[in-house]
Amino acid sequence: MPINNSRISASDSRGFWSWLSSNQSYHSVSLFLIGTHRKRFIFLAAVPILWALVANFAPLLKMLEISFYEAYPLSKGREIVYTLDNWVEFFLLNVYTIPFLRSIVFSIILTISTLILTYPIAYFLAQHLPKSKQLLYLLILLIPFWVGEIIRTYAIMILLGNRGLINLILQFFGLIEKPIPFMYTYFSLGIGIVYLTSLYMLLPLYSILEQIPKNLLEASADLGAGPWTRFWRVTLPLSKDGIASGCTLVFLISMGFYAAPVMLGGPSSTMFSETIAGHFNVAADRWPVGAAFSSIMLISTLVIAATFLKIMGRGGKGIIR
Amino acid sequence: MTRNTRILMSILYWAFVIYLFVPLIMMVLMGFKDSNFIGFPIRSWTLHWYTIVVQDMEVLSIFGYSMIIALSSTVIALMIGTWAAILLGPTKFRGKMIVFALVCLPAVIPGIISAIALRIFAETINLSPGTLAIIIGHTIHNVPFVVLVVIARLNTQPISHIDAAKDLGADNLIAFFRVTLPYLKPALIGAGIFCMLISFDDFVRSFFLGGYEPTLPVYIFSQLRTGMSPVINAISAVALLITVIFGLMAERIIRQN
Repeated sequence: MPINNSRISASDSRGFWSWLSSNQSYHSVSLFLIGTHRKRFIFLAAVPILWALVANFAPLLKMLEISFYEAYPLSKGREIVYTLDNWVEFFLLNVYTIPFLRSIVFSIILTISTLILTYPIAYFLAQHLPKSKQLLYLLILLIPFWVGEIIRTYAIMILLGNRGLINLILQFFGLIEKPIPFMYTYFSLGIGIVYLTSLYMLLPLYSILEQIPKNLLEASADLGAGPWTRFWRVTLPLSKDGIASGCTLVFLISMGFYAAPVMLGGPSSTMFSETIAGHFNVAADRWPVGAAFSSIMLISTLVIAATFLKIMGRGGKGIIR
Repeated sequence: MTRNTRILMSILYWAFVIYLFVPLIMMVLMGFKDSNFIGFPIRSWTLHWYTIVVQDMEVLSIFGYSMIIALSSTVIALMIGTWAAILLGPTKFRGKMIVFALVCLPAVIPGIISAIALRIFAETINLSPGTLAIIIGHTIHNVPFVVLVVIARLNTQPISHIDAAKDLGADNLIAFFRVTLPYLKPALIGAGIFCMLISFDDFVRSFFLGGYEPTLPVYIFSQLRTGMSPVINAISAVALLITVIFGLMAERIIRQN
């Protein structure tokens, strides 16, 4: 690299960067770290890959390992004993398998409901509003989602309470006499989770629908397709990628909620995340069971998500070129 | 599409807006109600609950604690995330997809599992629950977000930028600091503010990785276990205000470019 050392000195008025680029010791360091293509790549790749392995991958692997321990954290003098009991325990008791199945079915139902709810809204934003208005309308929807999970869950508790707005309105119109106990049911939990997740469906849908050229729909209309045909044959297939990523995101996020089921759900709607967490609140030797249950949930959610993406014909396409 | 469907969709949009805003408005409203009981009817109004919050040193220090955690985890996440984005953006190499998936893994792991795995991991490396554990947990969660935003920005950067810098005698490292980094600035500020929001609002990681000192969401959660109170509404309203201001700021910075 051509650097003219004689003309650029430390006292040069061009400041720090020109001083640095003419500094010999900097050059030896730079040459050592990123001198060749190969070195440059290693320098660039080492930190992110190491980070991903240690911070992202190792904890999951460790969780999987602990799930085969007999006890953890180990008390003094106790040795590691490997066992399959923690995994077997899951399949033996209804109090575990039922919340697990309930979580999966409930999350799938919520995902589909969110899709049906937000699709027309995304379509409206992307295809019916002029470009100049789209951002503003989208921003209005974004604002509530910046507010934290706990605060929004609390807001739903207030809304659906016996003396909340919904019951107030229903009573005002004389539709009911006594307040309906919405809270601590599947209903309140569902309303809450849709409230927390709908943006993760809306945004992927919007960004894919926005890319559909309007003249494509006009062309199909010219060829005699009615509104429904156009929707089923043109819009829907073209928005497949958005549906796939939105549904995957919402499913994974809903499965992972812990505070929402605790705050909004009742004893009859215990979710698997609560079951898992329960093993970490009580006696220490339940940790391995919790780890096993976490692993079961992780594997099953990822398998469901991957299968779904496969069916939708979408690998990891998108942002990475 | 016919005129009727258009009106129908517009109604649906506004109904959705109401669904999103009304619960939050109700929550803020109840914070001004002159009664201990959360719910209708509201007979008189007061600022009493807010004066309690502002004078409560415990609550104020919890706000500060949450902000320190948000700031630290964001700074670390920005550094690691940008580094990873530079690797995953323009350079082509074998196994790029795998590295990308690995780097963004925390974004698709359900919250409870990520929290539990980190709690176990902290135990195995003898890191006791507390501030450092929370900061690491939030950083891990934030990195994929930074990576995605920065890659999107990098993809729009003309290669001629860097070539020009090199022609002028900069080596790769200097070209990065002098050309690429300034180009990334809006993306970094935007991503940074959103990371702070995510961290400030995070519950599940803070809950499982925290020590005795609670972050704000953990504090609100534990207070709610003993029942609703207008003080919680006032705290939430303050947090809501901070969040919305920061969010709007980030949105502006990202949009300007």
